[in-house]
Amino acid sequence: MAQIKLFGYTDKISVRCGDEIKVHVNADGTDTADAQLVRLIHGDAHPSGPGFIEEEVACEANGAWAVTKQYTQVGSFLKVVDSERVLALDGSFTLFTYVWATLPAIGLRQTMIGRWDIRSNKGYGLGINRKGILEFWVGDGREVDSLEAEVPLMARIWYFVAVSFDAKTGRAELFQEPMLNRYNSLLGKVAPIDYRSHVAETLRFRPDNDLATPFLIAGAQDWHEARGHFVAQCFCGKLDRPGIYGRAMARDELAALQAGNRPADGQVAFWDTTAGYTPHGIGDTVVDTGPHRLDAQGYNRPVRAQTGYNWNGRNDCFRLAPEEYGGVEFHVDAMIDCNWQVTRTIKLPDTLKSGAYAFRLRAGPGRGLAEEYVVFFVRAKVAKAPIAFLVPTGSYLAYGNEHLSFDAQIIQPMTGQPPIVDEIDIEMYKNPDFGLSTYDAWEDGAGVCFSGYHRPIMNMRPKYRMSSMGTTWQFPADLSIIAWLDKLGFDYEILTEEDVHVEGLAALKPYKCVLSGTHPEYVSERILDATEDFIAEGGRFIYMGGNGYYWNVAYREDDPSVMEVRKLDSGMRAWAARPGEHYLQTTGDKSGLWRNRGRAPQKTLGVGFIGEGFESGKPFRRMPDSYHRTVSWITEGIEGEIIGEFGLAQGGSAGLELDRYDLKLGTPPHAKIIASSGGHTDNYVLSVEEILYAYPGMSGTQDYRIRADIVYFTAPNGGGVFSTGSIAFGQALPCNVFENNVSRLLKNVVDAFSADRALPGELWVSDEKQWR
Amino acid sequence: MSEIWKNPLAPWRGDAEPQEAPSEAYSDPGEVWRAKRQSHTKLYKVGRLRYYHKWRGHGAKTWTRTRYWPTRRRVLDIRGEYNPKILRREKTIVDKRPIWWLLSFIAIAVAPFLAPKDLQSTLISAGTVFLIYAAINLCWTLILGTAGIFSLATMAVVGAAAYGAASMSVFYGWPWWTLPFVGGGIGFVFGVVIALPATRLDGFYYALLTLGLNELCRVYVVQSRTFGSATGGVYGADSFIPTGASQRVELIIGYFASFALMLSALALFRFVNGKRLGRILRMAPEKREAFAQAVGIDYRTARIQVFIISSVGLGVIGGFYASYFHGASPSLFSFDSVLLGLAMLVIGGLGKAEGAVLGTFIVIVIDKVFLQLGPIRLILVGAIMLGVVLLLKNGLFGIKHQFRDWRDKKKSENRSTRAEKGGEMLPEEATEAGDKDLIYAQRFDKMQRDYLKGVVSEKLVEEHARNPLGQHSEPLERLLLYFRRQPQVDKYAIAVIEPFKAYRIVALSGHRGVAPRVVEEKTYPSEREAYHGVFLRRVQDLLES
Repeated sequence: MAQIKLFGYTDKISVRCGDEIKVHVNADGTDTADAQLVRLIHGDAHPSGPGFIEEEVACEANGAWAVTKQYTQVGSFLKVVDSERVLALDGSFTLFTYVWATLPAIGLRQTMIGRWDIRSNKGYGLGINRKGILEFWVGDGREVDSLEAEVPLMARIWYFVAVSFDAKTGRAELFQEPMLNRYNSLLGKVAPIDYRSHVAETLRFRPDNDLATPFLIAGAQDWHEARGHFVAQCFCGKLDRPGIYGRAMARDELAALQAGNRPADGQVAFWDTTAGYTPHGIGDTVVDTGPHRLDAQGYNRPVRAQTGYNWNGRNDCFRLAPEEYGGVEFHVDAMIDCNWQVTRTIKLPDTLKSGAYAFRLRAGPGRGLAEEYVVFFVRAKVAKAPIAFLVPTGSYLAYGNEHLSFDAQIIQPMTGQPPIVDEIDIEMYKNPDFGLSTYDAWEDGAGVCFSGYHRPIMNMRPKYRMSSMGTTWQFPADLSIIAWLDKLGFDYEILTEEDVHVEGLAALKPYKCVLSGTHPEYVSERILDATEDFIAEGGRFIYMGGNGYYWNVAYREDDPSVMEVRKLDSGMRAWAARPGEHYLQTTGDKSGLWRNRGRAPQKTLGVGFIGEGFESGKPFRRMPDSYHRTVSWITEGIEGEIIGEFGLAQGGSAGLELDRYDLKLGTPPHAKIIASSGGHTDNYVLSVEEILYAYPGMSGTQDYRIRADIVYFTAPNGGGVFSTGSIAFGQALPCNVFENNVSRLLKNVVDAFSADRALPGELWVSDEKQWR
Repeated sequence: MSEIWKNPLAPWRGDAEPQEAPSEAYSDPGEVWRAKRQSHTKLYKVGRLRYYHKWRGHGAKTWTRTRYWPTRRRVLDIRGEYNPKILRREKTIVDKRPIWWLLSFIAIAVAPFLAPKDLQSTLISAGTVFLIYAAINLCWTLILGTAGIFSLATMAVVGAAAYGAASMSVFYGWPWWTLPFVGGGIGFVFGVVIALPATRLDGFYYALLTLGLNELCRVYVVQSRTFGSATGGVYGADSFIPTGASQRVELIIGYFASFALMLSALALFRFVNGKRLGRILRMAPEKREAFAQAVGIDYRTARIQVFIISSVGLGVIGGFYASYFHGASPSLFSFDSVLLGLAMLVIGGLGKAEGAVLGTFIVIVIDKVFLQLGPIRLILVGAIMLGVVLLLKNGLFGIKHQFRDWRDKKKSENRSTRAEKGGEMLPEEATEAGDKDLIYAQRFDKMQRDYLKGVVSEKLVEEHARNPLGQHSEPLERLLLYFRRQPQVDKYAIAVIEPFKAYRIVALSGHRGVAPRVVEEKTYPSEREAYHGVFLRRVQDLLES
């Protein structure tokens, strides 16, 4: 019998009690699973902490669920909606496109454009064959005939390719010409390469067009008995402005097409990939400006806002010159939305306490891959509590299903330890169906810029430990804060970044005190704005993490389930966007670091990213400023100067990623440093946005800047900000059953921040005129 | 010489941090670079002039390609490519066989007219025999090579068809043009009958059976009155050669008719071997039938089909034989003609049309042209066959492939004697590297390892055991950084068996989609011990390299 595996996801990440939620489950080796709604309280199973804590909750959906095997379409492509079957071309035709292939020599057939059915061998297609050569092929269901160009396509070079096919004589002519300029391709003029190829041949067979075959750009239809129709032969690279004419064009006409002169005579379709750009981005629809308006719809988010064949280096954004941004980039392993069948639609109980919840699914042995937590967050129906924990869902997406331990050579020197992988990591690595994170690269080496939650996110699960670091990370680490709030009996509710992105300040406004997650690294402009406004209007914010409010990301208006980020220029980054491709297709905003757009996290939170290391954690030591009476209440009840010499993350409350106070980056001038960490090892290195010149000694034992600062400052209208500046801070809370000085410190702050009165210490404002 | 390493973090945490550790004295990593001044082996110039012409690409010109009417096949299979040394466009004829075939056909067509007058009749009749045998062997090689059925009954089929056709003509007066059809019919019946045991018997036993069948046929016709035990065959069949023509005309007509026969056999070979049946059978080579069957290839049916089709072909040839020679004789079934036929195939190489034809040519030349050598001819044929079997893997036409394999073997032997294990690339290896950066990466890696081998010591291992994570002494830190920066392929990692209780060392694949492999069965009770286990393995690998 097959190994039992269960994976699932929900349609919504944030719901209110009483809402309906849809759960999508894929099961291998079983047809039933035992479901139980649980409230997740603590997620780190580390022996020095309280262990994993969950609370079973009564729900109509508890019990046995019928589950089935589900299939996932991997690979991005465009599908043309062609109900009139205009593109079932029975006569002569011409196909053309500009192309920039990234993996022509991979040894697999890649279809660029065509109406081709792999199983029945029917239709026509233009693509790259297994030898890496441009090929045009036709099939009538029994026989396939083809014509290939003379030389292989070179990777990352713009070409114009076309085929003109005369159905009467059977003559087909391939046209391949380079579109190289000084900027747009991998190679320049100095490489002595003749890219051109013009081959003509008389084909023996004609295409027979099946009624049901779809016209696809960057893929072809295939079929499997269990799965039905799906798309295969996906293309890797960029295509720009493909089109079709209903007649065989002569060589000089093709040359005119190459030059961009597209006559109306005989045009069947022309997908103008540059049409539809707005100052606020572009969606998945590629517009056909031809006579039949056969728009193409993107699947798995083909990447838009990419430079086209005519990009000449001057304009760096589609907003300046949309006509130079016709590039649509496809990836054979792109996976945004599993699109599985709904397994169960559940109406959640009306009485659910706001919190992190999951449907716990078990089958067979009920552990390892046979146990799955389908996580979602329940916010209050009406906000009542004074305290809210803001779940950094954007960052969960960014790290969703990361493969760093397996793919990234840099990860071991970075984390200073060999990775510890478990069954789930291996499953994720073996199986492309779960998609990638923004820390991974697609098959062709390009960085992944989209991540969504309509797929099982294996590291957004309780108990999960990040393999490369040997600690919890993101959601399971954030549960330590939730557990702390829960165990200390605070009246708190849960809110997700998605809610803040959608509702803005209104989502935060009802709360007096908002706590962030341990690593809220990826935030949209609206989330950043709402946070800033919340604080400025009297809200009190506790930034519980390190390296937060760092990347500028975007969500589509109609679909907050998918996040887009482009990593560029500086910042600790897993990849770098190519020149000219630094703007988010989703909003038209420049991506990259908030700091590089004039909004360093220090401006809002008082601290910002300075360095990271992953093999050790250190304590904080009180800073002299913490003895001032404006802030001395924060450390009340804490003996000695050392704070947090323990923690579930490498044994210290200052660790993993660290943030520092910096007036030059906008820390409010009255901010005080309550405590700072120090004595970090040389595995802790300066973050790259701090570095102008690289020189020796930019690591923990030698550079004073590498430290976490706990910073406090008051904000307008009675507001205030308390920042811990360290990811590991949250993981120190559960030590000694939540009784420790980190817990005490935070309790002092939360008590003061959530109280319905002015912040303590604000009367001590006079000049210091003291004898000592 | 040992020293004490002072932990720079000691002031920060008092007793929590190791204050110091016994360590090794500083040794300069630059020393290995200063010491290494030349390669350990002599470096030879590499590179080769091209002694033949290659056509350049077509560039902007339209290249109109032609096909063999009415097929999809291009006249020549030409590969366009970039010369990796200078990026020049080149065209390579991937398969030059069509050119050789064409030249051979021309040679065969003009040969009778070029033969010296005095030897003309000998040569033309030898040529005719060559062509007929070539046709027979083309069908036979389909059975032996393509279908992989070890049948020696080929001559039995040809002979039976010849006898049957001759009898029809002699006893019933059927005209010459019916004889190939009669032969084909007999071939079909024989094919079906002989094919049946092929599904049951394997290799050697089947060969014996078919050889027995051949002998049975011979004994039968020698003893049968009907088939001319007295006259030594059945003679007087109708022939396509007009009666009364001069001997030269007769010879020429016979020669070209046989030529046409061979061309037909070639066409048959092409249609069976080069199309669906042939492809199916190439998926199921000998000793890998079980795998082919497992993936759904019905190789048995395909084999039988090929066998029957070839038998029909052999029957047609038998009919042609009867018509050309005006009858049939028991010598058709003789053991020596079976053996000579086998020699022809083996010399040329099994399963290849060109092998069947060239092998036939060589044997016929020896057997029929060098008549003056007497019986020593047969010894010569035997010697050639022996030589081919002993020295060549797949006949004369396997020589090129075999030579390349042998050269590659020698090449890697030479390289392994010259190259240092884990050392730098030799010029001959460097020229094959697509990314020249790798050449330097190997040099750098070698220098690093040479340095680090001198750094490893018991003290460092102990220091690591005490503290696998955190700040380390300078030499240990260097060692660890080197280990951590290694490429992903086969890099060690730790797999969880049970969190916080049991761990195991694995090695990453470095290829997305491929799970890590287990390195050892040993389990470690804590992360800390597993970290140290990985370190020990890495040190061991370093010292062994």
